[in-house]
Amino acid sequence: MSKKNNDPDVVFIGQPNCGKSTLFNAIAGLKADTSNFPGTSVEHTHSKVNVEGNILNIIDLPGTYSLNPSDPAEKVALVHLFHEKPSLVINVIDASILGRSLELTLELVELGCPMIIALNMVDLAEKKGIEIYIRKLEKILGVPVIPTIAIRGRGIKELLDAVLRGLEEGLTVSPIEWSRDVEQKIEELINLLPEEFPVVSNKRFTAIHMIEANKLFFDKVLKDINPPLKKALDQVRHDLETMHNAPAYEVISAERHHLALKIFEECSRVFRGKRVRFEEKIDDVIMHPFFGYIILLAVFCGFFFIIFRVGSPLEELLLEPLTNLRHSLMLSLGTGVLSYLVDGLLAGIGGGVAIVLPYFLPLIFLMSFFEDVGYLARAGFLMDTFMHKIGLHGKSISPFILGFGCNVPAIISTRTLESRRDRVITSLLIPFIPCSARTTIILAIVAFYLGPLWAFGFYVFNILLVAVLGRVITLFFRTPSPGLILEIPSLKVPSIKNMMKKTYFQMKSFIKFAWPILIAGSIVLGFLQYLHFDRFINLILSPLVEKGLGLPRDLGVTLVFGFLRKELSLVMMLQALDVSYKDLLTVISKEQLIVFTVFINFFIPCLSTVALLWKEIGKRVALLSMGLNTGVAIILSFIARLILVK
Amino acid sequence: MSEVISLIQAPPDTPLKIVDILGGHGVRRRLMAMGFHRNDTVELDSRAIFRGPVLVKNLTSDTSVALGRGVAQKIMVEIIE
Repeated sequence: MSKKNNDPDVVFIGQPNCGKSTLFNAIAGLKADTSNFPGTSVEHTHSKVNVEGNILNIIDLPGTYSLNPSDPAEKVALVHLFHEKPSLVINVIDASILGRSLELTLELVELGCPMIIALNMVDLAEKKGIEIYIRKLEKILGVPVIPTIAIRGRGIKELLDAVLRGLEEGLTVSPIEWSRDVEQKIEELINLLPEEFPVVSNKRFTAIHMIEANKLFFDKVLKDINPPLKKALDQVRHDLETMHNAPAYEVISAERHHLALKIFEECSRVFRGKRVRFEEKIDDVIMHPFFGYIILLAVFCGFFFIIFRVGSPLEELLLEPLTNLRHSLMLSLGTGVLSYLVDGLLAGIGGGVAIVLPYFLPLIFLMSFFEDVGYLARAGFLMDTFMHKIGLHGKSISPFILGFGCNVPAIISTRTLESRRDRVITSLLIPFIPCSARTTIILAIVAFYLGPLWAFGFYVFNILLVAVLGRVITLFFRTPSPGLILEIPSLKVPSIKNMMKKTYFQMKSFIKFAWPILIAGSIVLGFLQYLHFDRFINLILSPLVEKGLGLPRDLGVTLVFGFLRKELSLVMMLQALDVSYKDLLTVISKEQLIVFTVFINFFIPCLSTVALLWKEIGKRVALLSMGLNTGVAIILSFIARLILVK
Repeated sequence: MSEVISLIQAPPDTPLKIVDILGGHGVRRRLMAMGFHRNDTVELDSRAIFRGPVLVKNLTSDTSVALGRGVAQKIMVEIIE
């Protein structure tokens, strides 16, 4: 964050699916920096833009339904708003659901930050038969309202003009009154706030949020620092509760709800029942209790078909020149320590560029397509039933799909899950999903030596294993999942440009987080090889590798280093056994290969994944995940040995 | 006045009025933040098989939300005659 200079901070805030990020990206261009990954300062996207010679520091916050956060991602939005005191807030609103969207707007009006409304998706509202009187809306809310269609880049110039004007002239926002009796109670509390009380923004906002606050945390603190005020707060809450026969927070929320609906009615006209919209007809099919699942299955199959169709030729294309480069470097550098280190470096870069990218890139591009169209939410709806069987709910489906590309972004995306329980369980299961690196191994070993059907079977088994593990893990959590509450956004025609931008940003943050670990791990590996540390490891592991799994002792080292880089295990296996790829079966049997693949595939998640688990979810979960994966890998590969290897 | 039933028992494609939202703070707050309040008119849109989630259309705020069965059970409604 740039508190160092005086460039004004302009913050984008809006409810999920309102097109906020699309609008942000359209303004920020490709220069935006995603600091979404932990450890890289703050958790949001920001960029500096030059608007007619004025430098603005623009910040995109995660979508939030209200200023009373329920999921971890929403909390980020609030912490920012309250702490950084932005110069201007741009509230992005989905015009097609104006009534609901205004609830957040009203909260922002209470906050009193200078703000401008970007009334987005006005084309969609029009299609739905909603006509919005913009001037009237401006008048009631007391803030400028600019209609936009972010996906086509419409209204952006007008919005930026309004931003500059607002920053120059200053905007004052004053709250809109609620019912008399509620206002009276708020007034009472305001008058009791002591002078030195840490007021957020203004006294009214503070008082309202004290009433609304989640009792557990806030009340405890208040009771310690100011018992009389706590008593007064309880009295106010109690009064509101008896007056309206509902919890105080609900009274406040209902006030906003009704005010929002009133404003919506005053500022718009709805022409309903003109025709059954085309989108609704599509929805009838894709969410149909029977056809919906057939379509979902087809989509999934198509999805992975495309990824592998694009991925594997791309991988070969990229891997070959790198392998050649490594060979020629080895020849010229000799066998000194430098050659090992350089080889490690190249292998690390190669793994990132040639193995992860070819699969990950089409995957996130397709994901952003399904997300933008609105299918991802519908898949969550359809999959909820099955996810319930493993103790989770429909929202966990997109982290799982991402996991097939790379476990790292998959774990990050668990942030959209509201409860810690669901986050922990999902994060523990993600490392069991074969990411692109492990898929490479499955393809290279199982598909190549045993045939594609075996590889497919391996995949199916893997997915079943995730289901069984989910079932088992949830037994250890006493609290049930809070259940699915997932907004189903209207179907939209996606914009290729927006999808490409999204892919680009995700790619960029992935590279920033995972590559350094990947490369550093490979260099360490090169160094250990130089020291002949592998022999030592082979010796220690020989009881497990030789006696337990019935594999050649030399493979011990490859198992351990699979931790640093999953796909390296394959290359290292060839190195350790000192054979070429096509002669592999001369030194090891098919059955042994399966045992090996099973172990490598389920063994502890790679270093990047563990590092992320540690940071995102916590030390205990990271350690648990390592233990769980190792245990499962040992048990399954041992069973495989008993069945297959005589 | 018709009887109060849980959303899960309600017939599809019939306008319903939310009478009460049961359950703890967490669920209530989240539902409210997404525009589900008492006295709103909602409609059950379609059902998934295998005791799956329900799709609820909130006619008051014109949004669609998928609710797990556990959550839907906590929303008490009555049929609008």
